[in-house]
Amino acid sequence: MGHPSRLDTSAAATTSTDPTEQPVPARERGRTPAGLAFIAPFGMLFALVYIVPILYAAYLSLFQQKLIGGNTFSGLANYRKLVQDAQFWDSVGRVFGFTLIQVPIMLILAVALALALDSRRLHGIRFMRVSIFLPYAVPAVVSTLMWGFLLGVKYGLFGSLDDALGVNLDPFAPNTTLISIGVMVTWAFTGFNMLIFYAVLKAVPHELYEAAALDGASEFQVVRRVKLPALRGSLVIAVIFSIIGTFQMFNEPQILPSMVANSGITTHYTPNLYAYNLAFTGSQQGYAAALALVMAAITIGVAYAVQIRGLRNAFDH
Amino acid sequence: MRLHRKARFLSAALVPMLVLAGCSGGTAGSDGKQVNLTVWSWDGTVEKSVPGFEAENPNIKVKVVNAGSSYDEYTALDNAIQAGSGVPDLAMFEYFAVPYFAIPGKLADLGKFGVDGLEKDYVRAAWNDVTVNGKVYGLPSDYGPSAMFYNEATLKKAGVNEPPATWDEYYEDAKKVHALGGNYYIAQDTGDLFFLLSLIWQAGGRPFKVNGTKVHIDFTDEGTTKAVAFWQKMLDEHLLNTKITAWSDDWNRALNDGTLASQIMGGWLTSTLPDRAPKAAGQFRVALMPQWTQGDKVGAENGGSAFGIPAAAKHKDAAYKFLEYFTHGAGLSPRVEAGAFVPVTPVLDSTDFQSKPSSYFGDQKVGAVLAQASNSVASGWQFPPFFEWARSIYGDLVSKFYTTGEGSLAGILEEWKQRMVKYGNEQGFTVD
Repeated sequence: MGHPSRLDTSAAATTSTDPTEQPVPARERGRTPAGLAFIAPFGMLFALVYIVPILYAAYLSLFQQKLIGGNTFSGLANYRKLVQDAQFWDSVGRVFGFTLIQVPIMLILAVALALALDSRRLHGIRFMRVSIFLPYAVPAVVSTLMWGFLLGVKYGLFGSLDDALGVNLDPFAPNTTLISIGVMVTWAFTGFNMLIFYAVLKAVPHELYEAAALDGASEFQVVRRVKLPALRGSLVIAVIFSIIGTFQMFNEPQILPSMVANSGITTHYTPNLYAYNLAFTGSQQGYAAALALVMAAITIGVAYAVQIRGLRNAFDH
Repeated sequence: MRLHRKARFLSAALVPMLVLAGCSGGTAGSDGKQVNLTVWSWDGTVEKSVPGFEAENPNIKVKVVNAGSSYDEYTALDNAIQAGSGVPDLAMFEYFAVPYFAIPGKLADLGKFGVDGLEKDYVRAAWNDVTVNGKVYGLPSDYGPSAMFYNEATLKKAGVNEPPATWDEYYEDAKKVHALGGNYYIAQDTGDLFFLLSLIWQAGGRPFKVNGTKVHIDFTDEGTTKAVAFWQKMLDEHLLNTKITAWSDDWNRALNDGTLASQIMGGWLTSTLPDRAPKAAGQFRVALMPQWTQGDKVGAENGGSAFGIPAAAKHKDAAYKFLEYFTHGAGLSPRVEAGAFVPVTPVLDSTDFQSKPSSYFGDQKVGAVLAQASNSVASGWQFPPFFEWARSIYGDLVSKFYTTGEGSLAGILEEWKQRMVKYGNEQGFTVD
């Protein structure tokens, strides 16, 4: 909800490193009916699939559905209830914690892989690029099933490992399930981020490397002084993408409980899962709508903060 | 709310038109016009009785649709009722879901169709399942009397020659089975709510008392306390496998290799056990649940479902005709042949049903045992109208106990009650 447009502007802003290259602001070109006609198709679709659903959710969030008494207008009662809902904050805390740990690990891995591919010292770069990216093309449902079998202690690879080493590690115990999900998500999205970084590195002008070589810079210095600064803008984008992704986590906690008992996954494990269960099992659509809107606001807030901070640093250099 | 007032006015204007339409629909069957019935069912046997019904009633065409199982269907039905279109003429409900639809008035009271005359032909407890606040909202279509499926070979290996008849014997036998080796257990449990409730049910606990929109929840009555304490003891002494979940791949393996000595489940297990454990063919037998008192014959229920007519259905008369046909009338025999287990006493008592040996169960006459189990189900059990939601959150509360042993079953049930009280009151019920 609401991220595509935000991302588009940030992408445009971050990729133009030189402020003087900015296009002429729109208002100076004046508004013509012809221009409006050109954006009308987009505007209509945008309103239909983006504005209308949000307004409808906002409208729904003002009602309470009761089994006895039906639909009643309740003002902001759903929001007041949400603020005091320990289960909601439990789920929000979980995705925050997850984001703080998983996203840096994944991005560092992705940067390292991109730098390795860009180093021109590896053979079979094309094959590696595709194979590292491939997990991204596997639907989350399928990958969750796959990892479920891989990490399951009863019949999976982990069970055999446990037997061989004589240990008793369970990747799907209440305390470890989140780590396992982190592994699945990292596996799935590292390749995607790597590809973004790799594309940016490919675009670094050759003259910079030649200049660095003439100045006698070592390979390490080239990475530090040339490559990493070039990556900064795309890193901000990747962080924002990842935050949005993890805040919306749903598939993994939705599917795992059917494979593993007592993995600690609750009906309010992530905000999205909670909203889903509220709406479809608890028949509290209004409350679920309020949750979705609050969560969207939190996500936008966090993404925006990252963007502002990331960009400020980018311009500092 | 202006909009609402307008909507109400609009619906007031529409009602006479709908009534007219309803009238014409109601008579359509008899004056030669065709009626098309839509039935939502995830029970595959219902379709078997359609040809016979359509032959008898040429003006009624029946379309059986699988609109999802269990809560997928309930969600779809709720949505259809809310939208006011696409509501089926008959829908399937697990017994615990009947109050959820009946109490807010989403199901038609079947009293005016003369349903009371059928009561004598149904298993008493099953009839109780479709009765909410004294009115009947559905006809039972399949049944899950709790029974014990035991692996005779495994028990014999452990030195147990007779299946446990009481829970005390069950406890002793559990120790003997586990003594066979670390992987051997008398049963598994990873927080099976329906099993625990059937245990409470049999012990005489009645934790839910429903009266209109008032619900009283109490997990501390004598029967509940007894059942919960017993199962707590089984878990505390590690006599149950808490790693294997029913319906998982692990479970199938353990059933095949005989390391799980018994299953206390609904009678419907007969329909899936042969497929899940083909290697154990000839080893399993069926018996009544172990008893709390030697010599008793008290049973409980674990699953089963009914069909009801949504209040918003268009062809209620025709719907009832078909409902009676496939749950009570001539439509039963093709369903029973296809494997349906129906709580209809003339079927259960028939010599055909009672004397048929089952080769998978070592030529045991399984029907006779399950008929007895059905007739011994203790009465008076009630489900709260928000049970569907309640069972969805039960899993949230059990993980810690089943993986670390911290806490207790009684503590989990108390926490569950608190959550239900909060939710129930929010939903407009009076819950304490």
